[in-house]
Amino acid sequence: MPSTRKTVDSRGSSCPGPLTDLFKAYRQAGVGDVIDLLATDPVAESDVEAWATRSGNRVIEVVHETDFLRITVEIVRKVR
Amino acid sequence: MHKQVREGKVQIVLIGEGFRHHFQPANLDIAFKGAHPDDQSRSEMDLLNEGVTFIPDPAEKIDLENRSIVTTGGDVFDYDKLILATGAEASPHSIPGLAEGSVCFHTGQGNAVKVWESVSSFKKGRIGVLIAGVPHKCPPSPDEALFLLDEYLRHRKVRREVELTLLTPYPRSYPAERIAKVVGHLFDERGINVIPFFNVDTVDPAARKVFSLEGDEFEYDLLIAIPPHRGTGVIRKSGLGDEEGWIRTDKKTMRVRGHDDVFAIGDATDIPISKSGVVAHLQSKVVASNIAFEIEGKGTVLEYNGRINCPMETGHRQAIFVSATYQRPPADQSPSFLKYAMKKGFGTIYWSALTGRWEWLLDTYLGDMNEESGSVPFVG
Repeated sequence: MPSTRKTVDSRGSSCPGPLTDLFKAYRQAGVGDVIDLLATDPVAESDVEAWATRSGNRVIEVVHETDFLRITVEIVRKVR
Repeated sequence: MHKQVREGKVQIVLIGEGFRHHFQPANLDIAFKGAHPDDQSRSEMDLLNEGVTFIPDPAEKIDLENRSIVTTGGDVFDYDKLILATGAEASPHSIPGLAEGSVCFHTGQGNAVKVWESVSSFKKGRIGVLIAGVPHKCPPSPDEALFLLDEYLRHRKVRREVELTLLTPYPRSYPAERIAKVVGHLFDERGINVIPFFNVDTVDPAARKVFSLEGDEFEYDLLIAIPPHRGTGVIRKSGLGDEEGWIRTDKKTMRVRGHDDVFAIGDATDIPISKSGVVAHLQSKVVASNIAFEIEGKGTVLEYNGRINCPMETGHRQAIFVSATYQRPPADQSPSFLKYAMKKGFGTIYWSALTGRWEWLLDTYLGDMNEESGSVPFVG
């Protein structure tokens, strides 16, 4: 199945909003899919990196746009 | 609007599900202290101010285009202004095996009693408290459940025989860092474990195992689950919510997006904020004030500033408050008996507070809705 790329806009939402939104997308995603999480909460970067390390997934890049973060995650591992 | 209601110029109609009003925070007392359910509910009719017409017939369909509500009994009510306070629905069946393999205090008093029956006879083994979906009602409730379990099992002198674990999708014991610091310290002291980043996938009731999307598994003897929540059936059937049934709502004016004459408050909204009674109360003040002013010809005067004020009992007659606004995150704090007394005090005045009798006290403590900075009196 071809991989997909999805943007999850969590701007304006504070912790744990961005993580919650990421988990919803993760639940529906498959291995190979890419999720672009947009967030204004600065804690989102460290939280997403911690989750990626724990779950075996990969943060491809974190871009500091003018007034928000773009955190790109590749789903590398989804055991179930 | 008392005068206008008395003169028949304004009619206020409450369309609701049934005759009983339950104080939902007390489900924790029922589940972990054996409190009696009957003490935690009242007749809805006894709580309403005169002048409010109560229709105990749930809404079946909400038609915003035609400004009408159709009840399950087939009655049709037209409106000029509508406030949607349809709440949230716990949905344990949305996770395979969860309903069969766990007990839950979020799905009504009867099920809270079943938690108590399981807990009060538990002598040895592993108890897991699982956050199976976010958002959910009462964000402090998973941690509070563990604090109360710890206290109760120590009282029964079986605590050493029981392993307590929080399974959470979050990176820490509580979503907000400063609260997690307080909770985490107490969990460490009391030997309560935390498994973070646990997004539940399935439960195997026969094997008594719960599995995560991240590849973890947890074996349990008793699983207490905070189930996934979603918007209620009438909202989903009427096509008013997002993919999970939450109503798209402006986080300050509480207006339903795209409909100037419709408001949403409380658990039913998509606002990323605590689903709790205090939030519903504060939002209802904003909406009631603004509707009253609009009817009288004056403009909107209040906006909701995101104020939350969730108590969390930490055991042994101590508590903390998760208090914040859109602009101000929760503050550092320590548990205290004073905060415990405040939590218990609120539970005592809850029924009369619904009539508005204690509004002066709530205004003093919870602060001005127009206060953007959220610099409100806070017992830290």
